[in-house]
Amino acid sequence: MENLKIDAELDITADVCPITFVKTKLKLEQMQRGEILEVVLNDGEPIQNVPRSVKGEGHKIILVEKRGENYRLLIERGE
Amino acid sequence: MTIDYNELKKGGFLRQRQKDNFIVRFRSLAGNLTSEQLRQLADLADKYGKGYVHVTTRQGAEIPWVGINDYNDMKGEIKALGLNTGTCGPRIRTVVACPGREICQFGLMNSRETAIELDGTFFGREVPMKTKIAVSGCPNSCAKPQENDIGLVGAVEPILCAEKCAGCGLCQKVCPHQAISMVDGKPTIDRAKCLLEGNCISSCPTDAWQEGRRGYLLYAGGKIGRKPRLGQVVAEFVPENQVTESVEKVLKAFDVLSQQGERIADTIARVGVKAFRDEVAWTGIESKLYDGPVNSRTGSSTGDLGKEVG
Ligand code: SF4
Ligand code: SF4
Repeated sequence: MENLKIDAELDITADVCPITFVKTKLKLEQMQRGEILEVVLNDGEPIQNVPRSVKGEGHKIILVEKRGENYRLLIERGE
Repeated sequence: MTIDYNELKKGGFLRQRQKDNFIVRFRSLAGNLTSEQLRQLADLADKYGKGYVHVTTRQGAEIPWVGINDYNDMKGEIKALGLNTGTCGPRIRTVVACPGREICQFGLMNSRETAIELDGTFFGREVPMKTKIAVSGCPNSCAKPQENDIGLVGAVEPILCAEKCAGCGLCQKVCPHQAISMVDGKPTIDRAKCLLEGNCISSCPTDAWQEGRRGYLLYAGGKIGRKPRLGQVVAEFVPENQVTESVEKVLKAFDVLSQQGERIADTIARVGVKAFRDEVAWTGIESKLYDGPVNSRTGSSTGDLGKEVG
């Protein structure tokens, strides 16, 4: 997994709902299909809501891991 | 002019504190009013009231300050416009609903559609005590179904398809109720903690969490008033096309078990939720997929669910 090429990064640890997802969505929209976005987000509300919304928009979550206090998501841009 | 207050009440005209003034109650259909209806209400409020409406907690609108001499004119006008007036007294009230699956991203069930169906069957029915019904599309319970005599809450049962699971652990993190834990790299679910809102299903990257049963949890015995009480689950996973039948069963059980002057909450408090549940005797659909222990909610823990969700 770790030798995946990351095409863009986003840190939403300073944001709250719904900006967390809005920023993620906007970033993904600027990317090409199949490219990979790395998102760093907080525990609690963001980790409960961002993945579901990302999946709901047709993107693919390919990795989730704890990173210190936060989480790291790798998302593959969908259609 | 002699006034039959009961007739007036049925037509949505309620007596106001000030002599010879009435409050006219209108209702919405599962919370929606069209822009046309809003304009008509605005015009009526200008013409017969004081130019404002009071928005009620049950998704209705009231025009106060209607003078007794305007009663006939206004009644005729309401009829011609086809606006729906509300009711009060010992009847089944307007069925309220959250926006639900039609537009809400969390929605599991079409709460508005269900509410409209129930409203069509039950609104205005004369019952021993006032009876309120509310429908919510998911366990977030925005329409406060647990505060109503009868409440419906959309729910979904997550089932793990283990072959698909990549062991990423996301479900453990997205579950707002810590119902999932990772054991040997695979999720296990504690059914007693699961609130049936399906975040694991809608988040799982590999679709390993799938939908088992989907339907309404049926609550009974909620009320606010002077002695508030939360409803408790009396039937599970009622499918969309059986809601009317299941509500009918609750009303029937209430009819059999109640004593004079009781609301459903009082009856349940007296006989216990188990006895009430047994009287409702809803069998519903059984899960074919589910391989774990019998859903913890079917037993005595139903009371806890009421508390948790409320
Ligand atoms: S109860 Fe659920 S479906 Fe209804 S508005 Fe709230 S979050 Fe949406
Ligand atoms: S349905 Fe909700 S509460 Fe139940 S296990 Fe899934 S995420 Fe947790």
